[in-house]
Amino acid sequence: MSRGRHYGLRVAVAIASSLILAFPLYWMIVVAFSPRQELLTTELRLWPQHFTLANFDRIFASFPIPTWFGNSVAIAVVVTGLTVSVNLLAGYAFAHLRFRGSSVVFLVLLSTLMLPLQVIMVSEFQLITALGIYGTYWAVILPTAASAFGMFLARQFILGIPREIIEAARVDGAGSLRVFLQIVLPLCKPLIAVLTLLTLLSTWNDFAWPLIALKQNELFTLPIGLLYLQGQFGSDYGATMAFALLSVLPMVVLFVAFQRYFVQGFARSGIR
Amino acid sequence: MTTLNTSRRPRWVRSTLTGYAFLAPSLVLLGLFVFLPLGWAFVISLKQTNGFGDGAFVGLSNYGRLLTDPVFWRVTFNTVLFTSIVVPVSMALGLGLAMLMNSVLPVRALFRTIIVLPMVISGVATALIGVLVYDQNNGIANKLLRVIGLGSIPWQSSGPGAFASVVLVTLWWRIGFNMIIYLAALQGVSPELYESARIEGSNARQQLRYITWPMVGPSTFFLLIMNVIHSFQVFDVIFVLTQGGPGNSTSVLVTYAYTNGFLIRDQGYATAIGIFLLAITLVFTAIQWRVSRTRDLVE
Amino acid sequence: MQMSRRQVLGAVGAFSLGAVLTSCAGFVRPASTPATGELTFTTWGSDSELVGFRKAITGFESANPGAKITLNVVPYQQIYPTVDAQLQSNTAPDIFRVDYRNFGRYAGSKQLLNLEPLLDASVGASFTDALWRAVQFDGKPYGVPHHTDTTAILYNKAAFAAAGITSVPTTLETAWTWDEFEKVALTLQRKLPAGKYPFAYNWQGQGAARWLNWLFQADGRFLDKKLRSPAIDSEAGRAAIDFTKSFFTRKLVPANNSVKSSTYASDLFFSETVAMTFAGAFLIPDAAKLANFEWGATFSPQDKRGGGDLGGNALVATAGTTKKTLAAKFLTHMVGQKTMRDFCATSSLLPTRKDLVDKGIEFTVRPELSKVFVGQASTVRAADTAQVASPAMGAITTVLSDQLEQAFIGGQSTKDTLAGMTAGIKQALSR
Repeated sequence: MSRGRHYGLRVAVAIASSLILAFPLYWMIVVAFSPRQELLTTELRLWPQHFTLANFDRIFASFPIPTWFGNSVAIAVVVTGLTVSVNLLAGYAFAHLRFRGSSVVFLVLLSTLMLPLQVIMVSEFQLITALGIYGTYWAVILPTAASAFGMFLARQFILGIPREIIEAARVDGAGSLRVFLQIVLPLCKPLIAVLTLLTLLSTWNDFAWPLIALKQNELFTLPIGLLYLQGQFGSDYGATMAFALLSVLPMVVLFVAFQRYFVQGFARSGIR
Repeated sequence: MTTLNTSRRPRWVRSTLTGYAFLAPSLVLLGLFVFLPLGWAFVISLKQTNGFGDGAFVGLSNYGRLLTDPVFWRVTFNTVLFTSIVVPVSMALGLGLAMLMNSVLPVRALFRTIIVLPMVISGVATALIGVLVYDQNNGIANKLLRVIGLGSIPWQSSGPGAFASVVLVTLWWRIGFNMIIYLAALQGVSPELYESARIEGSNARQQLRYITWPMVGPSTFFLLIMNVIHSFQVFDVIFVLTQGGPGNSTSVLVTYAYTNGFLIRDQGYATAIGIFLLAITLVFTAIQWRVSRTRDLVE
Repeated sequence: MQMSRRQVLGAVGAFSLGAVLTSCAGFVRPASTPATGELTFTTWGSDSELVGFRKAITGFESANPGAKITLNVVPYQQIYPTVDAQLQSNTAPDIFRVDYRNFGRYAGSKQLLNLEPLLDASVGASFTDALWRAVQFDGKPYGVPHHTDTTAILYNKAAFAAAGITSVPTTLETAWTWDEFEKVALTLQRKLPAGKYPFAYNWQGQGAARWLNWLFQADGRFLDKKLRSPAIDSEAGRAAIDFTKSFFTRKLVPANNSVKSSTYASDLFFSETVAMTFAGAFLIPDAAKLANFEWGATFSPQDKRGGGDLGGNALVATAGTTKKTLAAKFLTHMVGQKTMRDFCATSSLLPTRKDLVDKGIEFTVRPELSKVFVGQASTVRAADTAQVASPAMGAITTVLSDQLEQAFIGGQSTKDTLAGMTAGIKQALSR
């Protein structure tokens, strides 16, 4: 296969971009494995002088990390399952079903993404208390699953499925549900993969709402630990970066493993 | 060939019912957990309250106050400025990198992975890394700049410097997402299109304009909306990195709403700011919906 | 019928979901049968503070069989949003910890339990006047002062020696005057290498109200005696703003040491970017761990009088608690002499009891520095704390933060700053 034009230039740009984008991550790892004193020096040091695991010891001693990890997994799995199913149905409806008010309803539902959490936080809290789910996982699961992001993504993706296939099934007498389950859904595997990963990611990293909605410390999710490390009088950066590294690791592994899927993902009949 | 319509209801009623049946779970979830609190928040915006007790009903006076509040206009300006820099740049860089990753390169998967990794880090952790990097006395950015002879940049004590640090951190975080979406879209463009164009004598720029750009239209629409929504709502990066300072040079709508809601405890005013934010995002999206011709492009 | 791949995936998903569900108690509401003697206590805390709390709780539980205190620890930044949300939906804790600046807001909104009928008279009498005044609203006590802290100076011994500064004040009376302090700073400025500064001040984060120390030192007020209108536009106010502005115009502090910076003064001190920092007693254990140099402490400067900030926290009970007597009993226990002494010594904080202030306490870390901070705390007067206890204090802190930022970084004139503060304080009081 020919290398194409400007091969050298393209490789150089790729290397430069990767270095620039990777550098802050590298720095996070350096800080996580450096003792606190080293962060306060004025000389330039690009790697830890004294490699240490003390930051990790500190955070494992201060927080119930395995418990919080389990909580994060439980919540993320349920939210993702719920969100993906609900949004696939909605995305299909907006993409292929013709019904009155489709555009308006779509925009109205999309508008739910435009509301910052800080604005409805107190009202949302009163709602979950009224519903009696305060202090349980459901207080986090249900509001988090109520996200129109997946619906938007699903719609754009499903639009790419050729109409002829759908029409052909209809002509054969299949109802909308059959068409959805037997024709559309199998073609949506890449969409499902992408939506699952992105939903897992945002749910996994969510901390502001879980902190308020989960009453007891034992139910907290992993990212909340990061907030504890922002003390009243300044931060312990070594421990903070160690913690961030720990909480990000599962997601990194998932993303690296499924990265191929992303790319194949949208191809052919995806978001073109 | 027409299908036999054996039901007594007209077709449009049946398809409407079907449509809403598919939407039902979304409508219930969003209705209960977003629209209900939103409605309640709107009611709060019509009151003057510190959160305890019912507060006093003051009609639209909180919104009137927005109009005469110079800080509000400053934070709105900052939010719009931030969005108008971050959105086009991250999309352009995303598309550029996607085109690069779509071409022949050694260890392409490695480059792709590295570019995507930043978006896996949470917003707060990203901002904390930013604090370490952009501290103007001991941060790694200024240390590197000093070493190569460019001198320190006042990332914290000057308005433009602080704004730049926030923009750079956000770009770092968002480029991967834009690239992935565009890359997937590009992989759906068949190479024959480019081949035949090249045979007919068009150059790279023409190919970009007449083939690539229209073919990624739906992705552009999606990214534009999502990036604008995200930029209008920027909070964690600013809260952690600059706290809106120096002065108000990096304060944005959501940090201002937070300050009013949780520090000054004027919840009516804070929710009014939030509703304003919702309204302008909605207007922007509606305009894009009308204007975009390639948003639903299907081959 | 052959199962499609999707059905298999679905089954696997359902199975793992089931496994997750059965193993996680978080999906169901916890069985709520409140023990007759159970209190919930919401607080934040550093590691050593939490150790102190747990120890005090254990002591209370063993002295009061049947009583149980459930400690709920939240991150510092989230304490007030969490407590507020809980108060607004009737799920509030029985006891919570609140700093003196935010105390007034809860007391003024009738969210706290009036302790007057529940506390023995001797309890109130055991505190210093200033600290007892800090937990009063409308003449009645709505909490107990658990501990306090205030700001003194930590200095880098080597940097001082290199600049030829051979002595620092060792008694409160001989604390530097503003002029003397300025001279010390200028001497340091001349002798320090480029990129290093004489000092940093600790008004970052929620610390904007620590600027008031300078106002108090100039014998000023920010609220009038009735606590109903602003009183900051005065000779003292002008002096305080002029003096603190000069820190920036004369580059006595680093440019990123303003109020809205994400870099704390303590970090500038530990990294040796500054030769001295203003800090509270709580910082001593950290300093012992992080400073790679020898350091000491001395008193904050004085002008017409000595002045300090009302740092530290009170413990309060919510008005809606169903266990009023037990709550009052617990609060009394937490401010008992032995409990307070142990807590303050290990957490490096200052006591609020007269007997402990008179006798003095000894910090576990650097005990010889205790008397600097205890002495500095004595400069905080009841007239000062009465202002801080105003229900508008939270909003006033934001006004101070905005106006000081404009003055320090934005070049706003003293006259305009005073006008801005006056207008902002007035608006805060009117809510």
